[in-house]
Amino acid sequence: MNLPPGTTWLKVAVTIMLATAFTAMPAAGASKSTADHSKFKELQQNFQSGPEVTKACLSCHTEAAKQVQKTKHWTWEYLNPENKQRLGKKNVINNFCIAVPSNYAACTACHIGYGWKDDKFDFTVETNVDCLACHDTTGSYLKLAGMAGHVPYKDMEYPPGSGSFVKATDLKKVAQKVGKTSRDTCGACHFNGGGGNAVKHGDLDTSLEAPDKELDVHMDSLGLNFTCATCHKTGGHDVAGSRYAPTAVDRKGAQVRGSEDRKNPATCQSCHGQAPHTKTAKLNDHTSKLACQTCHVPSFARGGIATKMSWDWSTAGKMGPDGKPMTVKDDKKHVIYDSKKGDFVLAENVTPEYIWFNGSVQYTLRGDPVEKSDQPTRINRFEGSPHDGKSVIWPVKVFRGQQPYDTVSKSLVILHTTGNDDASYWKHFNWEKAIAAGMASVGDTFSGKYDFVKTEMTWPITHMVAPKDKAVGCVECHKAGGRLEKIEGVYIPGRSRDHLGLLDTAGWSLAALTLFGVVVHGSLRIATRKKKD
Amino acid sequence: MTTQRVYIFKRFERFWHWTQAALIIFMMLTGFEVHGTYTLLGWAKAAQLHTNAAWALVALWVFAIFWHFTTGEWKQYIPTMEKVDVMVKYYVTGIFTDAPHPFRTTPLIKHNPLQRLAYLFVKLLINPLIWISGFAYLFYRDLGAIGLGGLPLAPIALVHTAAAFLMLIFFIAHIYLATAGHTPTAHIKAMIIGYEDVEDHGAAPAGKSAG
Amino acid sequence: MRMTKQLLMGAVLGIVMVGTAGAYDGDWKRGRVYYRQVCTDCHQSMAKKTISPNEKTKAEWTAYITADKHDATKKSNPSLKYATSRAYRDSIKTKNKAAEKFLEVPDAELQADIKAWVLYGAKDSDNPSRCQ
Repeated sequence: MNLPPGTTWLKVAVTIMLATAFTAMPAAGASKSTADHSKFKELQQNFQSGPEVTKACLSCHTEAAKQVQKTKHWTWEYLNPENKQRLGKKNVINNFCIAVPSNYAACTACHIGYGWKDDKFDFTVETNVDCLACHDTTGSYLKLAGMAGHVPYKDMEYPPGSGSFVKATDLKKVAQKVGKTSRDTCGACHFNGGGGNAVKHGDLDTSLEAPDKELDVHMDSLGLNFTCATCHKTGGHDVAGSRYAPTAVDRKGAQVRGSEDRKNPATCQSCHGQAPHTKTAKLNDHTSKLACQTCHVPSFARGGIATKMSWDWSTAGKMGPDGKPMTVKDDKKHVIYDSKKGDFVLAENVTPEYIWFNGSVQYTLRGDPVEKSDQPTRINRFEGSPHDGKSVIWPVKVFRGQQPYDTVSKSLVILHTTGNDDASYWKHFNWEKAIAAGMASVGDTFSGKYDFVKTEMTWPITHMVAPKDKAVGCVECHKAGGRLEKIEGVYIPGRSRDHLGLLDTAGWSLAALTLFGVVVHGSLRIATRKKKD
Repeated sequence: MTTQRVYIFKRFERFWHWTQAALIIFMMLTGFEVHGTYTLLGWAKAAQLHTNAAWALVALWVFAIFWHFTTGEWKQYIPTMEKVDVMVKYYVTGIFTDAPHPFRTTPLIKHNPLQRLAYLFVKLLINPLIWISGFAYLFYRDLGAIGLGGLPLAPIALVHTAAAFLMLIFFIAHIYLATAGHTPTAHIKAMIIGYEDVEDHGAAPAGKSAG
Repeated sequence: MRMTKQLLMGAVLGIVMVGTAGAYDGDWKRGRVYYRQVCTDCHQSMAKKTISPNEKTKAEWTAYITADKHDATKKSNPSLKYATSRAYRDSIKTKNKAAEKFLEVPDAELQADIKAWVLYGAKDSDNPSRCQ
């Protein structure tokens, strides 16, 4: 036997076996790619780290990292051209885990890069780009919180001190099986926004990994089986359809191949056009006032997983009877209290709230004034009105909560939650220290005085599109007290508050009077006739 | 006193009347459901059928208008103030004292002066209000094509509802007055079989003038 | 020549291994679709609850699958293999789209898919997964 060094019979056999299995058994949705990455010499090596894999990728895909580095997925930054607000994950404050700065190592498990553990991260290094986060097809590439975007390169205890272990990622296998993005790869982060499955969006959770038609008519795993990128079409790694620059109204027709008249091909209209209802043409009239989603996403969190509806940080820090952090669950096993985070309200099958929205969003950023009052501070105010000519009615999830702010500077604050240092809130539960560390991480000051302020955050509902027979029925809005009861500026037939009270009163009174008149007249006729007889 | 059998309402006229009656009743029922007054068929069905009935009525009207003009029957609706006072007086007092009906129906003059006025009011006020507001309601997204772009739905709906109330009031009075002929069933029978048994008392003042 | 010889021997050994390990590498993604849309559907209506891959460890799942004891209530066929068989799929194909779609998939393949999925999402796996 004369084998190359390092080769064993087993390896040869397994390779052949795998090759046999793959050629003989193209599973559903088999790749039509013209390249089998396992055959590339560049990938036939035992990678020691993610950046090594990236280097191999870039040896062929020479421009990929440069493209990625221009995107929001990489910079976590977005400058709103309308109002010059500096947005993006890196800059905004939300009412979930509050903010990224000072928590990079944990948060950047969802960054498409390697090594963003503090504000010294070098965004220009191409091998810092993580190709596999999006292009893995094996489901075995898992970026863990606290590792600054890296995956385990060797077997390790995780979380540290927990006694449970994770295995080293088989980078070679993952690299050789790269492919297009999938609901799994996008979902690894976007289904888990806000710190867990289904927490943040309400219309994005792991039920969409393999949904049925009822849950999402497009992503139906037995039917159309759309991936995220089918709608969120990329060009040069730039993914279309961002919440930071939403397209609230799309008045263009369906996008024809070759045309490039759209900056956002992720809208419903970019495929369905402006008059998609063929059986009941009247429905097309609704599109001047309604987003498609208003009728076609009847409720969110429909896949059996509850989404968070509110989060009250002000109650965080209470310890269990043993003096240790605790969690409290409701009868459905949802965590409704966590010492680290406070009180939660969760819900499934939630009917959205509805608002006029024109695509402009105004954020309350760090430094913007906030006041404690019964009126919640709106972290991202969705703008729109029935009269501006560019708004339609959208379904939204409104996420409510209470979160810390600086009572002296009147600004929302950054909370340092993660990590093992002595300022970490989740370790030591000391608000002053955690806020001071959070604010210091961005070079800001903290007065030392904090309190909690009510906040609201708005999330557009656009996924979990139901089949047409499950769309919102007419009468759910065309009645008193329906879904759109609170919507101003539009006449909804059947909604009694739109009636001119005087007209209805006068109409019915006159009709009743007429009836009364003829009854009296008729009775008199009968009475007088009897008399005559 | 003899009675004479007169052919008043021709076959098409009767067909037109009863089809129109059915459609209008149905449209009032569905229309007020769409308005939100009650739930009967379900909103979606009510709205759909209301529209369908409207188109059916349009078709019926096309034929009816053609018929009225080709037969000259439109003249039945030319208003007159003559003898209106007599009619009013009859309805207010005469009808209770068994006074003779002041109007004698003939094929040439089918409607008494009050009827003429009432039907003209329906045709010139209620119907145009209903149709114009109704079409504007149905096609409010396309009003721009006739220079009314941006006209909100609320005033259109308001006019349409007001016209519907007028129609309802007319409807109540009309049904009742249908019983106020020479006999309570005379008008109704005439509208069903076409013939009316007209009392032939030579001294009837209005009857004479009409004849 | 040496190359050919090596390949030939590899192939022979490969075939031997295929014979013992099964010719098919379970597709956890297809297993997930079947599990979520057939298994969970029935669990919900029969057992009034969902059963998720993350409720057992990999070892427990392997043992469970080997034991082939499924419905303890005896309300349905107690064999686990039956719940993934063509016969079962055929019996529910009119009311379950996944069963209809995967009707002609060989039993062994589908069983391997489902095993791959529950192991992929097991309690001690890298990505404990739910049935939904």
